[in-house]
Amino acid sequence: MENKKMSIGLFTGSIDKLTAAGVLISGAAADDMDIDIFVLLQGARAFLKGMGDKPEKLGMAENADLREEFLGSLKELNVMPWMEFFRVSKELANVKIYICSLAGKVWGGEKLEDFEDLVDDITGIGECITSMQESDIHLFI
Amino acid sequence: MDQEELKNLTADKTVDARGTACPGPLLAAKKAIGDLGSGEIMEVLSADEGTRRDVPKWAQKKGHEYLGTLEDSGYFRIFMKKG
Repeated sequence: MENKKMSIGLFTGSIDKLTAAGVLISGAAADDMDIDIFVLLQGARAFLKGMGDKPEKLGMAENADLREEFLGSLKELNVMPWMEFFRVSKELANVKIYICSLAGKVWGGEKLEDFEDLVDDITGIGECITSMQESDIHLFI
Repeated sequence: MDQEELKNLTADKTVDARGTACPGPLLAAKKAIGDLGSGEIMEVLSADEGTRRDVPKWAQKKGHEYLGTLEDSGYFRIFMKKG
C-alpha cells in the first residue's frame, strides 16, 4: 500500500508552534506518512544555521509572558527540543524540509548551507503547491 | 490475552519510555520495532496516559498484533507481536 502523504506550510517561527508542529510531524512519521514541509516567511529564520541551539532567539505565538513556564514544563516532562522532533521524524519516515526561497532571502539565507543540515533544499512556491495537490492531508501552521 | 497470560509473557524486546511524555513512547516503539523479526514480542513501558490508547492503535494499524496492557504501579506495560 502506498504511504499517505502530508504537506505542511510551516509559517511560524515561534517556539511554541514549532514544538506543536514537531509533535504532529513525528506522529505522522511514526505512522509511515510521507511528509513535505514547506518553510515560509517567519519559519525560515528558525531554520537558519545555528538556530537549533538558540531557543532564546525564538519568541512565543501565544502567552508570551508565560514563556519560561512553558519551556520549563517541557524540560521537566523530558520533551525534546523542537528541532529534535524534526530530526527524529526524518529518521523514521520520508520527511523533506524545504525552505521557500523568498523566506530564506528575508532572513539573509540564500543558499542551502545557510540553513541547518536537516533542511533538504530551497524551493519555489510551485513545488509547494504541487506537493499539496498530491497530498492526503494539508496543514498550515 | 488475559492479565495472567500477559504477566507470564517474556518479551523479546522491552522499550522503557517511562521518562518521556507523548509522543515519546510512540516514537520509541516505532524505532524499536524495526529491530524485531516477525512473530517476536515487544513490550513498551509508558507512564503517559495518551500512549495507553495510542500505542495499541498504532500497532494494529501497522499490522502488528496487540496482545494487551498490564497496569503496574504508575505505568503501563503494552505488549504486541510484530506482524
